[in-house]
Amino acid sequence: MERVAIEKKVLSENDRLAQALRSQFAECGTLVLNCISSPGSGKTSLLERTLEGFSPDTRVAVVTGDIQTDNDARRLARFGFPVRQITTAGACHLDARMVEKSLEGWDLGRLDLLLIENVGNLVCPTSYDLGEESKIVILSVTEGDDKPLKYPGAFAKSRLMVLNKIDLLPYVPFDMEAARRNARSIHADIEIIETSCTTGGGLETWRHWIAERMRSTADSRQQRVARQLG
Amino acid sequence: MHEMGIASSVIEAVRVEVTRHPGARATKVGLRLGEWAGVDAESLRFCLEVLVKDTELEPLALDIDFRPRGSELDIAYLELEE
Repeated sequence: MERVAIEKKVLSENDRLAQALRSQFAECGTLVLNCISSPGSGKTSLLERTLEGFSPDTRVAVVTGDIQTDNDARRLARFGFPVRQITTAGACHLDARMVEKSLEGWDLGRLDLLLIENVGNLVCPTSYDLGEESKIVILSVTEGDDKPLKYPGAFAKSRLMVLNKIDLLPYVPFDMEAARRNARSIHADIEIIETSCTTGGGLETWRHWIAERMRSTADSRQQRVARQLG
Repeated sequence: MHEMGIASSVIEAVRVEVTRHPGARATKVGLRLGEWAGVDAESLRFCLEVLVKDTELEPLALDIDFRPRGSELDIAYLELEE
């Protein structure tokens, strides 16, 4: 019997492709955010309110994933920005190849922001790198405040947790402090923003967060270009 | 569904490795699986069994090194016999 070391990531092909996408996004100065949540947490509503707040000249596009239907793409297309639907036909997550394919024909050099709405699922999407700059996990107050403990992967890998539907707090037994504590027990540095897509509460903070990251992505690109020229 | 995709990637990697060792057959694959990798070990085991059934890889033992609070999803080693 012979034992050979392989030391290879199971999803190495996906990771390779995601890394290529990440380099391409960085080169073009495109900030890419991968939004992950359970079904019904309000990903599409949050993106609707996000797009609604952008001026028409904002260079933003959306890729939205669902197992079936293009309902979300139709909802999001109303704001006049480019939107593409990925219908996975059964797959419970997006992978890097699906994203690469969905970008065909788009000039990334003309996009400052690409929002990816993953398939509603808190487990599988966390395994697949899409080349994003950050993962964002959305947790709504109609869910359990212990979800970070039940689905730690999504919270461990996300830079930001959006606590959504906060307008419903008076009607549900959701404990905000427990949710924050649980998320931070998994990921000590996770950033947290509270939002309501119905009242608009917290959306300014969320838009500001995106704008800051867009600025930092653009700065990194400029520095790289300056280094190349210099 | 998700575990089946992961299992297919493992089998693919095993097949690639076996071709580097002419005349040998794979007997065991060792995986490193983090608690936060989003993969259910038992489901993965089942999917691998289904995928190797009636193929040149059957039987293929699976050794899972489970890592608490980790996100690993790696193929660590492959055991072969002549």
